[in-house]
Amino acid sequence: MTMTSPNTQHVHWDLDYDIHLGETWGRFMDGLRDKKIYANTGGSGKVYVPPMAFCEESFRPNDTWVELSGEGDLEVFTVVWQGFRGGPKPPYAIGGIRLDGADTLLMHYIVGLDFSDPAGIRAQLPQGSRVRAVWAEERSGQILDIAYFEPAI
Amino acid sequence: MAYQAVVAGVGITEATSPRKQTHSFVELCQQAAHAALEHAGASPDSLDAIVVGDIDGFEGTVLGAKFQTRQLGLGSDIPVIVVNTGGTTGGNLMQVAARMVRSGTHSRVLCLGGPTFFGAQDLQAAINTNSPMIVEQPLGMGGFHMGAFAASAYQARYDIKLEDFAAVVVADHTKASKNPFAHLRYTVTIDDVVNGTPLSSPLTQPMVCPVSTSACAMLVTSRQSAQTLRTSPALIKAVGTSGDPYLGGGKGDFAAMENLAILARRVYAMADIRDPYNDFDVVEVFAPYAHMQPMQLEALQLCEAGKGIEFIRSAESHRGGSLPVNLSGGPKCTNAGVAGELAPYIYVAWQIMGDAPEEIRVENAQRGLAHGTGGTFFQFENLAVFESTTESR
Repeated sequence: MTMTSPNTQHVHWDLDYDIHLGETWGRFMDGLRDKKIYANTGGSGKVYVPPMAFCEESFRPNDTWVELSGEGDLEVFTVVWQGFRGGPKPPYAIGGIRLDGADTLLMHYIVGLDFSDPAGIRAQLPQGSRVRAVWAEERSGQILDIAYFEPAI
Repeated sequence: MAYQAVVAGVGITEATSPRKQTHSFVELCQQAAHAALEHAGASPDSLDAIVVGDIDGFEGTVLGAKFQTRQLGLGSDIPVIVVNTGGTTGGNLMQVAARMVRSGTHSRVLCLGGPTFFGAQDLQAAINTNSPMIVEQPLGMGGFHMGAFAASAYQARYDIKLEDFAAVVVADHTKASKNPFAHLRYTVTIDDVVNGTPLSSPLTQPMVCPVSTSACAMLVTSRQSAQTLRTSPALIKAVGTSGDPYLGGGKGDFAAMENLAILARRVYAMADIRDPYNDFDVVEVFAPYAHMQPMQLEALQLCEAGKGIEFIRSAESHRGGSLPVNLSGGPKCTNAGVAGELAPYIYVAWQIMGDAPEEIRVENAQRGLAHGTGGTFFQFENLAVFESTTESR
């Protein structure tokens, strides 16, 4: 006998976890609570934010901490027109920011775009546009202690 | 002593959407596994291992491959090796099997990839959960949102228009329309793509792969073991993988695929490829989003930087051209997760064996390149070079 339509059953997973941050990300998150952005370096000359215990070029430990300002260049961003279940309500923008003094990009929410102009959206914040971190009023040591990045004009 | 590994058989099922698929995960895998053995003329009891891909969570299972593989009807005494490397799982199956055969510990290994994205009701939500937790997962990104970063950066560097990305989609659909194993077999116009539903700028829905259901399998054997089989096997000349940093923000440049370029140089050196464009007769790359294919072809030295779309538009990249690319229609038109990642390897080996479906066959293909990629921001790349084992005519 051949079926003509799929026979499916619904399955649901809903699990909670506590992730141990460890010393490297622990220090980074503690810094965010105090409105400070800590990067690290030392494995090579490369400065990592978020910090990484080991440099991913030299594979040697990053043993030196550096404090960065909350400003940098917006390298790239996308506007989310269609999100996903459990995610933020679109439209919203996410980008990769090269903070002054960092070699890696920090991913975060970007505000200040006019969503009524989809065709010209990339030109509104061209590559290299200056952006700065805006702190959340209530901070608990997590990446969203930075509420978002806004254009720094 | 090292042995040479070859592909001696491939099997692939027809593809459909989850909405129309009446078969289970296991049933599709059964079809693909037996099709690969049938193609090679190998009996199940001649296998000495199965390498099977499995992405926990996406399938609503944990190590599902362990029990699913028992239901394939291949016998009771075959060791199962489960590979789980996230999005690159399918692309790494043959890498693992080839190394097992080359080491001399195994002589016939079946690689099996099933339809990973079969069940997730909202695939983008599932992909969000495999972002790096703590620092990137809370930022509202699923698969195509992360993919869009490279699309936007590539646009900025080379002044790429939406119509240019659309040309890639038009080419993929034209090719898929001829492939009996493709999922989306309709053709589209530039306007259809540009005016498609916006997903994440600059990507519209037609620029992004579908969720497909299909399975595929590949028989990897030693060259000697293939002598008793009925196909003209494809030699696995060189394989390799390479990874960027773990976090998406560790990628230095979103407008160029630097990690793939590094891997290509390494694999080409192993395979003695000196002039990639002329050395290859057929190429399949894993490009689920429109901007990825041109960027990959550039990183693979198959065209100049910024010229990928021009090449894809040209007749040279189509069947009958000097370097046919993604004649299968690629993952843009058929993406079944692990099976979709294994598919470029299946199609190129099939071409080199001379047995690819007639509608997409490249006659007398002697050397081919297969590519896979995955990871939340496509940090991980894999490549293989195949060569014909018959004398060129």
